[in-house]
Amino acid sequence: MNATTIPCHEGPVRRLLREAGSTRLTLVLLAVVALAVIAHARIEGGLAGPLAAAFALAAANLGAALLANERLRADLALFVFHLALLVLLALAALGRLTALTGTLELAQGEVFDGRLLTQESGPLHPDGLTRLRFVNDGFTIAYAEGWRRGRTSNDVRVFGHDGRATRHTIGDIEPLVLDGYRFYTTPNKGFAIVMRWVPRGGQPPERGTVHLPSYPLNEHRQAQSWRIPGTSREAWVMLDLDAPAIDPSRASTFQLPGAHRLVFVTGGERRELRPGDNFAVPEGVLVYEGLTAWMGYKVFYDPTLPWLLACAGVGVLALAAFFWRRFVRERGPA
Amino acid sequence: MEAQLLGAAVAGYGLAGSLAVVATVLCRRLETVIVGLLAGGLVAHTASLALRWDRVGHGPFISMFEVLSSNVWSLTLVFLAAYLRVRAVRPAAAVALPFIFVLMAWMLVTHPDDGHFPATYRTLWLYAHVGFGKVFLGSLLVAAAVGVLMVSGPPGARALRAGGIADEVRAEHLALRFLALAFVFESLMLVTGAIWAQDAWGRYWAWDPLETWSFLTWLALAALLHARFTLRLAPRATAIAIAGVFVLAILTFFGLPFVSTALHKGAI
Repeated sequence: MNATTIPCHEGPVRRLLREAGSTRLTLVLLAVVALAVIAHARIEGGLAGPLAAAFALAAANLGAALLANERLRADLALFVFHLALLVLLALAALGRLTALTGTLELAQGEVFDGRLLTQESGPLHPDGLTRLRFVNDGFTIAYAEGWRRGRTSNDVRVFGHDGRATRHTIGDIEPLVLDGYRFYTTPNKGFAIVMRWVPRGGQPPERGTVHLPSYPLNEHRQAQSWRIPGTSREAWVMLDLDAPAIDPSRASTFQLPGAHRLVFVTGGERRELRPGDNFAVPEGVLVYEGLTAWMGYKVFYDPTLPWLLACAGVGVLALAAFFWRRFVRERGPA
Repeated sequence: MEAQLLGAAVAGYGLAGSLAVVATVLCRRLETVIVGLLAGGLVAHTASLALRWDRVGHGPFISMFEVLSSNVWSLTLVFLAAYLRVRAVRPAAAVALPFIFVLMAWMLVTHPDDGHFPATYRTLWLYAHVGFGKVFLGSLLVAAAVGVLMVSGPPGARALRAGGIADEVRAEHLALRFLALAFVFESLMLVTGAIWAQDAWGRYWAWDPLETWSFLTWLALAALLHARFTLRLAPRATAIAIAGVFVLAILTFFGLPFVSTALHKGAI
C-alpha cells in the first residue's frame, strides 16, 4: 500500500506497469467500482457490462501493482491478500462464463430428463445436464399458523450412470448435488392434474400432468390452459376447492385437497370432472385420473465455487495476519 | 421476568452511558462504576435474551425488536471488551454509549413480536454470518467513537488525554486498529453470508439491496484504509472518514430494511 519505488532507468513496460498499478489510480477505480455497483443496483435489469468493465479495470490495476509495486511484494501477507483479491475477481469472471442457473418443475413420480423451463448460462458452460436423471418421490412442507412455511423435505431417487438408484432427502438448505449441478427445492410448488389421453387414431395412450399455479400463493387462481398432445385442441382446467388445502388457522402441512371438482373446458364445452371421469372429444378421450403435487426446483452450476471459497479464506487470513503484525505486534502510531 | 431483566439492562446501560458523559465532561474517573454497570446490564440482558430464546424457540434474528435488542447487546459487549482491554478507548464511551442509547430507545418503541423463523435459518452459517457482522459493527463503533472525539475540539482532546492519548497521531492509530478489525470481520461476514446464500437461495451473490450496500461499505472501508496508507491522510481527515463509513454501515444494516422489499433483509 506504500508508494512505488521508481528505478533510475525505467523501461517503457515497467513504466506502464507502474502507472497502471498506481495506488492513486486504485482509489479512483474503487470509486468507479462503487458507482458501477450503485448503477447496476438502481437500474432495472442491471448494468452487467459496465459493472464487469469496472471490475476488469480494478483487476488490471491490482495485477499491475502486484508486478510493479515492490513494497507490496515485500510484505508477504499484504501480497497474498492482494493476490487473493485478484484471483477472486478472475474466478468470479470465469464463473460467469461457465455458470448455469435454471428452473424446472417435477410432479411426484416424474423423472428429470435434463430439460429446464428457464435457463441462463455462460458461453463456456459445458452442458452436462442431459446425462443427469433423478425422480421426485414426493415432498412434505410444514406450515405454521397463517401459512408461514416451515421445513421442506423432498425425497428424490438419483439414477447413476450405471443405472443404479440411490435415495436422498433434500430441501431448504440441502441441495441435491449431481456432477457439480446443485438442485434446490423452492417455495414454488403446487398441484398437478394427472390426465390420460387416449387418441382415436389407434396411437398409444399418453399419461401426463398439467401443473396448476403455485399454491398457496395463487390460492384463487388454480387454473391452467394447455394443448392436448398431437392435436391443435386447446383445453382449460380449473381446480375448484371447497376449502383451502392447507388450513391457515392452524399448524399444518402441504397436502392434496380432499373434496374438489375439476372444471374442464374445451371447444366451448364445459364439464365438471371427478377422478376417473372421461371427456370425449372428436380426436380422442381424456381421462381425469386425479391430483398430485409438483415441486419447482432451481438448478445452479458454477465450477469455481470451491476455489472462490478457498481464495476468500486465504485472502481474509492474509489480511488478518497483515493487520495483526502492523497493529498488535508492532505497537505504536503508524 | 424477561421484560424486567430487559428493563434492568436498559437502566444499567443508561446509567453507565450517563456517567461516561459526566466523567468526560468533568474529567472524573468513574471507570469502575461504568464497568460494573455495563457488566451488570449485560448479564441482565443476556438472561432476558436467553429467556426469550427459550420461549419463542429461536434466537434474536427475526423481528426488528429482536434485531435491535441483540445489537444493543453485541455493541455493548464489544465496547466493554475494548474498554477493559484497551485503556485508551475509555474516553470514547462518552460517544459510543449514547449511540447505543439511541438503539435502545428505538428498541423500546418497537413491537416485541416473535416473528417466524424460516427453515433456511436452521444452519450454523446464520450464527457465523451474524456473529461476524456484530463484531464488525462493534469494532467500527469503537473506531468511530474515537474518531468523533478527535474532531470534537478541545473537549475531545482533553478526554483523549485523560485516556493516556497524548496527540492526534496516537488517537488515529487507535481508531485505525479498530477499523482494521472491522474490515477483517466485515470480510468474514460477507464470505459466510455468501456461503449461506448459496445454500439458502441457490446463489452466492445476486446484488440484492443488502448485498449491494454491504459491499459498498466494504469498499468504503477498503478505500479509507488504502487512502490512509498511500496518501498519508491527516489524522482529522481519517477521523472524519471513519465517521462517514460508520454512518454508511448504520444506514446499510438498520436503514435498508425499511426501504427494501427484497428477501434478504438486513439488521441481523
